[in-house]
Amino acid sequence: MNTLRRIRLVAGREFLVTVSSKGFLFGVLIMPVIMGVLLSVIPKLLNQSGVAMQVEVGLIDRSSLLAQPLREELQPAAITARREASRREAAERTAPGAGDVRNPLPVPILPSFTIKSLPADANLDPHKTWLKDANIGKTNRRALVVVPVDAVTRAQGQETYAKYEVYAPRNLPQDAEGILHNALRQVLITERLRGSGFDPAIVKAATTNPSTATQLVTAGGRQGAAQGLNRALPFIMGILLFMGVMIGGQSMMTSTVEEKSSRVVEVLLAAASPLELMWGKLLGQLGVGLVSMGVYVILGLLALLQFSMVGLIDPMLIVWLVVFFLISYLMYGALMLSIGAAVNQIADAQSLMGPVMVLLIVPYALSPIIGRAPDSAIAVAASFIPPVNAFAMLARIASSSPPPLWQVLLSVLAGVAGSWVAVWFAAKIFRIGLLMHGKPPGFGTLIKWARMS
Amino acid sequence: MAAVVRLQGVEKSFGAQRAVSALDLVVPAGETCGLIGPSGAGKTTSIRLIMSILFPDAGSIEVLGHSSALDAKDRIGYLPEERGVYRKMRVDAFLRFLGGLKGMPEAEILPRAGELLEKLGLKDVGSKKCEDLSKGMTQRVQFVASILHRPELLILDEPFSGLDPVSVRLLKGVISEERRRGTTILFSTHVMAQAEELCDRVVMIHQGSKVLDESMSALRRRFDPTRVLFEPLDPAANLDVLRSLPGVLSMRAVEGGVELHIAEGTDPVAVIRAAADRVAPARVEIARIRLDDVFVGMVGADAAQSAALRQNLQGLSGEKA
Repeated sequence: MNTLRRIRLVAGREFLVTVSSKGFLFGVLIMPVIMGVLLSVIPKLLNQSGVAMQVEVGLIDRSSLLAQPLREELQPAAITARREASRREAAERTAPGAGDVRNPLPVPILPSFTIKSLPADANLDPHKTWLKDANIGKTNRRALVVVPVDAVTRAQGQETYAKYEVYAPRNLPQDAEGILHNALRQVLITERLRGSGFDPAIVKAATTNPSTATQLVTAGGRQGAAQGLNRALPFIMGILLFMGVMIGGQSMMTSTVEEKSSRVVEVLLAAASPLELMWGKLLGQLGVGLVSMGVYVILGLLALLQFSMVGLIDPMLIVWLVVFFLISYLMYGALMLSIGAAVNQIADAQSLMGPVMVLLIVPYALSPIIGRAPDSAIAVAASFIPPVNAFAMLARIASSSPPPLWQVLLSVLAGVAGSWVAVWFAAKIFRIGLLMHGKPPGFGTLIKWARMS
Repeated sequence: MAAVVRLQGVEKSFGAQRAVSALDLVVPAGETCGLIGPSGAGKTTSIRLIMSILFPDAGSIEVLGHSSALDAKDRIGYLPEERGVYRKMRVDAFLRFLGGLKGMPEAEILPRAGELLEKLGLKDVGSKKCEDLSKGMTQRVQFVASILHRPELLILDEPFSGLDPVSVRLLKGVISEERRRGTTILFSTHVMAQAEELCDRVVMIHQGSKVLDESMSALRRRFDPTRVLFEPLDPAANLDVLRSLPGVLSMRAVEGGVELHIAEGTDPVAVIRAAADRVAPARVEIARIRLDDVFVGMVGADAAQSAALRQNLQGLSGEKA
């Protein structure tokens, strides 16, 4: 009874002190909140502060065919349609098979264009001076477009069409410049097709596909949307796991080293046994790890909510994330704890931390690879070998081809066994290390201590 | 009286170095026992063994009727030699944490802590962070932590080291109070004067072995007052006349004056009167038993060794308040 009370007290102190430290508040809580706020607010601010620009385009069209089509392509409706098409294209490239994804960003304020047709044989130089005229309105801009005949009709014996030219002063806004180029390209392609005897409308229809979501057919007969997001999930799980373990483990190590260097440890040992202290610290920092992981999970879910994609996350995935976090936290945390107990200052801990970091970073770096090939021999093997099993198995669960339940449970079992060994090892080191001062031990010495007690 | 601490044949080595050898120690209930000896004698190791922070290589340890102090943690108060605080914690939070670990009911901790802090001249430090306290204040806070839960056994490892005279006096006051309350106290010190003042009994340790274990009253009887200390008012006065006083066996020079060795059975008061008649005194007194003399007498068969020891002890005595 008293043991539990002491463990609870130590855990409570660890948790409160860590969570209320400035480092934790900034690093774990405030930073992501600030980032989230910035990411969601700044685009809106940028759009709202925008002023509608009026762009006058001087057009020297040697072919005399483009003025009217260009005017049409620069209408707001045409601009918006083109934007939407290219956004959809980009979305399909990054997440193929994700289906139609709503655009979360608000519609920006578009510049309005007017075309000033110049004689087809006009000389360029006087119009360049027209561009530089500064005495136009604050929201007025100018651009000059020159289209050679060869850009519309291919010159004899040439494989490609000639290029058009755009001249603009420095103050032409980037979005206006982009819209102008896109419109010109569209107009040129249409005119070229027409000139070669094709119907541009047919070509457009033939080269466009509505976005399609791959239909998933699972063993349980459940059908759902296959998600492009799923490809990123194994990696995201790896990051979350890595982060939770690092934040909890690192602050556990730091607090243990501090207790040693401030010599408060002997005062504690008079009140609680080393085992009680160790479990208290493990549990307290477990809470810290869970809180920091929770913050990111919730932020992630909020972000998905923005894209109305929350439904794509299987709730079981979060359950497994917590289960495997517990396992890997205990394993890596126990190692970091014993390092903290073995050394006298943080600087000495670095050399011992090296191997632990490698053990932590390798599976984390492997998780996207495992997610891509979840049934490969190495992925299957890794999911049963502590301490990397948590990362490997979680990546497989999050992948497009989740493993059968018995494999997941076996991996949990392997993890529990691994954590048990790690905590046992840590308990030995902890007991001896706490009162050791002087030269920091190497890994060999640590193992000797574990054998000794 | 039941023994609160009982050690039998306790041995402890660190590698090739023997820290404690064949240590027998019995501290009866209610007694204040001083563990004395020069630095490195094995005092801290002995105390850590009693606290079950270290475990003996051989021998048996019994504390408050348990074979290990771990089973009686909540009834023991311990001020380690290497004592620290959580620097970033507030004093009251720190004390509440330790009181909780010691099994005190939550509601009792802060009132008791406040009372003790005030007794030690630390009123109003509860809301301060530990890192904002001076060294002496920190040490008093640590002392409060060790007696917070009204322990039956109080173990203090060098409780006065590094303290200013005012803090020492405050601490001694509270220790005496604990003693009156019936607490068994075991404390270590290398400053013999403190042991003389506070202890019922002293245990001397030298190079890991016990060399003396006797009550102060027995010690005082054993080392009968056969010496008189005399300091003349005029430093240039000729003190040779004192040598021929009746009952005086010998005389030797000490700092500021002379020490007269008188025959057993001679009334020291008569010697003092006679001496003061001959030479005007600045100070004249019956020399009190000095533990460092006893100690050197116990271990210092070898003259060179005893000189070194005396230096060690006196150098350390220089610290005393």
